[in-house]
Order: sequence, then structure tokens, then C-alpha cells
Amino acid sequence: MKQYFGPTVLAVVIAGPVTPFDTTAAAQSIPGQTGDRAAVVDVLGGSAIFDAGTNISAINVHGKSTNLGGRAQIRQAGDVITIEQMEARLAVKTITTGMGLRDEHMRKYVFTTGDGQTPDLKFTGDRADCASVPGGGGESICKISGQLEIRGTPRPFAITLKVNKAGDAYRAAGDGTVKLSAYSIPQPSQFGVTTTDDVKLHIEFTAKPPITNQLEARAGGIR
Amino acid sequence: MNRTGAIALTAAVGLAWSAPARALPTMIRLGYANCAACHISPQGGGPLNIYGRAIDEAQSLRSAEYRPSENRLVKLLSVRGLVQQDLRAVFADQRSWAGHPPGTAVFRPRLMYRNVTDLGKGFRLSAIVTGETKFLPRPPLHYDPPASPSTIVVNTALVHYRASKTLEFAAGSDQLPTGVNVPDLGVFIKSRNRYGYYDSPVQVKAFWGEKRYLVIPFAYAPAGNQPDAGRESGAGTLAEFDLLGKGKTVVGVSVLRGTGVGGTRQMVGGYTRVGFGRWGILAEHDFADRTRDSMTPAFGSFRQQASYAQIFWAMREWLVASAIGERLRVEQPFAEQLTAGKLEIAARLTNQASVGLVARAQRNQLAHIWGKSVTVQVAVKTAQ
Repeated sequence: MKQYFGPTVLAVVIAGPVTPFDTTAAAQSIPGQTGDRAAVVDVLGGSAIFDAGTNISAINVHGKSTNLGGRAQIRQAGDVITIEQMEARLAVKTITTGMGLRDEHMRKYVFTTGDGQTPDLKFTGDRADCASVPGGGGESICKISGQLEIRGTPRPFAITLKVNKAGDAYRAAGDGTVKLSAYSIPQPSQFGVTTTDDVKLHIEFTAKPPITNQLEARAGGIR
Repeated sequence: MNRTGAIALTAAVGLAWSAPARALPTMIRLGYANCAACHISPQGGGPLNIYGRAIDEAQSLRSAEYRPSENRLVKLLSVRGLVQQDLRAVFADQRSWAGHPPGTAVFRPRLMYRNVTDLGKGFRLSAIVTGETKFLPRPPLHYDPPASPSTIVVNTALVHYRASKTLEFAAGSDQLPTGVNVPDLGVFIKSRNRYGYYDSPVQVKAFWGEKRYLVIPFAYAPAGNQPDAGRESGAGTLAEFDLLGKGKTVVGVSVLRGTGVGGTRQMVGGYTRVGFGRWGILAEHDFADRTRDSMTPAFGSFRQQASYAQIFWAMREWLVASAIGERLRVEQPFAEQLTAGKLEIAARLTNQASVGLVARAQRNQLAHIWGKSVTVQVAVKTAQ
């Protein structure tokens, strides 16, 4: 049976380290949004892939982490999705390039602060209104702006996500570009091979209601 | 042992121990789409550039920081970095069986001297010279006799000119460019297409490439070690493209037309190298149409098809295991049907030492004979 939620508010909070059982905001109405509904959606085990070119045409440097976690709030009114209070986090130690020594170099030269700390990468997103793609089978394009913290230093960052709803989950994939110079990070250089200042970032994740929400829903706790 | 059995055994021997362990197309798994990232020569093989040396060390069991040698003699011989050179020794020990035991045991040591000398203004010389006592020619085929082996072999002698970052020319003597470029010269796609250990035709070639593509046109003429019946001149091109632009999905085609004393050879092949982080796939299939004129014992035209597929898995950065399948089909009047499987494990211990273990089984489907072999190979080289 098709359920109608009216102008729906989904609260999706992306946080990390992800706390899937801390879901007090889950599936609750947001104050002042009478008739709206809220839900919390977590991201667990999303992937983040970076790709940096170099001054040598045959060499690119790739890295990957499959530990992207987070939380955000989403409102949905018909086909229109709005993402709010987005927060994502990625532990530096989970990013690998396929070469242990290069990983050490990357952590040391890119992600380590002056006092020897390697804080997680953290993204805090502003409100983003997503445009549904005509004929896109429910796909929406979300241009999200916010602050990306690298070495604990926040800088403006924007990413465009393609979001598809699948049941009570949202599948998202998107691309953005990080400028190392914006964080005062020198371009890594080794034996004449220097990476570009622009590092392309691709993320993919599935955001789902927190586990406790799902359990409650199965028990009939959410109507 | 009958003649067919002897041929099967010879093939099994040749097909499992000829890997010089010099090029690593498996690096596609990390986004190294072609050889130029780590080798001075864009065709691969030969000395590594300084970045390649760092990768060589980083990807070894020792996994240490690469530091150029501070040895005074090494520095003196490098002439302020203009000369890159090393000595490489490869020791291969193989046990082979065709049909029933007893089999044969062969120990094949080789010593290689590899040199790249920068002449300035974009020019450089490169050479690989091998000394050996046990010879390993291609299979002796009526329609394609192998190049003659010798104790001292000049595998490569080239003059290079790098016109720009994306264009390089080379002229001299070398192996012709190949598709997946696996180091084992005994696989069907190489041993049956004139890419054997002693095949270094005189040639001119160009390497034109950017991040997502590489094109290698070439023209060649017979080298001095080719027997009269095996002399061939021709031209061809390799063209490959990185489909997704991440350096991990390369597809390519190769074409070649050669004309020899006894007939012609037209080869068309397709190949791919794809990587997925810890594992990947290398595959190639070649068609070679040959004609043999009425001056040869058997004349007419016939087709040869050679296939190669390798799935590899980097258990550790320094330890790579592979399962390889091969197939060869040759039409009448030289009908052959061979199928082979190989398990291989290669370990890079340091930037100076590597070991490999190969087990191979080959089936002659017309003669119904199995050839099997096990090979252990140790390679050491001097460091710069």
C-alpha cells in the first residue's frame, strides 16, 4: 500500500565516528514544521576515492577509504529533496593508496599538523536544495557547499551529489575538488614526481535510517 | 621418448622459465597504465628511472625509503647521473616432465648488463647485453625458424630522442612492442609471434602518448641472427586507451604486417589490462594469418590464434600470485592445438632481489601429451 507523507522532512545526520544507536533525532518532527516528518539517516562504510595527477603524464596517485561515515537531515517534498545539517567524517588512517610507504608519506606530508596530530577529515554541509532530474527515475542532483576540515583547518568546499532513493535508503555519489594550497599544504613531491594542487574527490555512500529506527519500524513503532 | 613427446617437453621447458622478470604490467592494479612511469624506456624493461627505483623499493618486502647509492664507485660510474646502469643476474632451475617420469632438470644462469646513457638535448642510448650458457630459442617451426642464440646476446641497442613530454623516437635493435607486455617470453602470444628471447629486429619506432592513450607505430627489418628462412621486414602499430581515465582500464589493439623470404604474416590482436586495487586481469588474443609461397615445403595460407589470460592477486604489496591460461590454435598444414595453465607466485624481497615459483602444465590436444614443469627463479641486481 502506498503511503503518503505529505511534505516530508527526513532528518539525516551524518556523523562520524558513526553512532548508529544515538538516534534521538530520528524520525521525529522538526520543530516548527507542522505536518512534516523527520528521520535520521546514517552513512556507514561509504567510500571516498581521491585522484591526484602529477607532472609526469604516466603517473596518477589514487587513494581510497571505505570508512566514510556521517549523518544529515533531509526534507522531502514530493520529488524535491533538501539536505540539512550534513556532517561527514573520514579517519585519515583508513585512506590507502595501495603502497604502504606512500601511505606513510601521505599521512606525514598531507594530513599531519604541525604538532604531530592527524585529525580526521570532516565535512560540515550547509542546506542544499536538490533538483530532481527530469526523466531521471527519481534521481536528484544536490549541490552541497560547506566546510571541509583537513588538518583541522576548515575551508570552503563544494560537492555535487547524485542521489537516488531506494526504499528507505538514499544512494548517493558525487565529485568535488580539493585544493591543497587552500590548506597551505605543499604539493607532495618525490623523486621529481609532484602531484597537482587539485585533488579530485569521488564519494559514494548509502544513507539509511539508523538501526534503532529500523527495529522500531519493524515493531510498528513508526507510523 | 618419442619425437612428439620431446617436442612437448621442449615446449614445456621453454614456456615456463624464460621470464626475465623485468616488466610488471600487474602494476595496472595501482593505476600505472603503462611502463613509462617507472622505466626509462617507454616500452618497459631495462633500467628504472629514479621514481621507478623508489617504487621498486617501496613495493618490496623490505619496503624502505629509496636512497640513491652513496657508494663512490657507483657515483663515479654514473658520471653525474648521466649513466644509469646495473648488472642483473637471473638463476632459473627447472624440472620438466612429458608423459611419465623421469623428466629433465635444467639450470639456466644469465648475467645482464643494462645501460642507459643520457647524451643531452633529448638524446640517449640504451643497451641490454646478456651472457648465458644455456640457450632458449623459440620453438623450431617449419614456417617460422627461430633466431639463432649465442653466448653473448644484445637484446637492446637503441638511440632514443625525446622530442617532447608526449613524443619519443627510438631506432636500433630491440624487441618489437607488444600488447599486455608480460615479461614471460615463452607464452604463446610471444613465442609464436616472433617475440622470443633472441628476437631483436632492427627497427624504428615512436611512442606518442598522454595520460589516456599510447600509440606506438614501428617498422622493422631482420636482425643479423635471423636465419634466411626466418628473415622478415614489416611495420605495425600498437594503440591503447585508458577507458575510465584512472589508469586502471586499458584496452588496446595491435596490427602488424611482415614480409619474409617464404611468405607474409599479418597479425591483429586485442588486449586489455585492468586493475582493481589488489587484483587485476591481463588478457590478449592474437590472430596471425601467414602465407607460405610455393618455394617452401608446405605452401598456402593458414591462421594461428594465440590467447592469454592472467588473473593476479597481490596478497601483499611484494607478493603477487597469478593464475594463467593459454591457448594456441594453428590451422593445417601446420596444425597444432595447445592448451596450458600456469600458477605463478612472485616475491620482491628488496629492490635488489626477487624470487619466483612457477608450476605449468601444457596439453598437446592433437598428440594427447601433457608437459609439466616447475621452475624456481632468483634474480638479483646491483642497485644505484
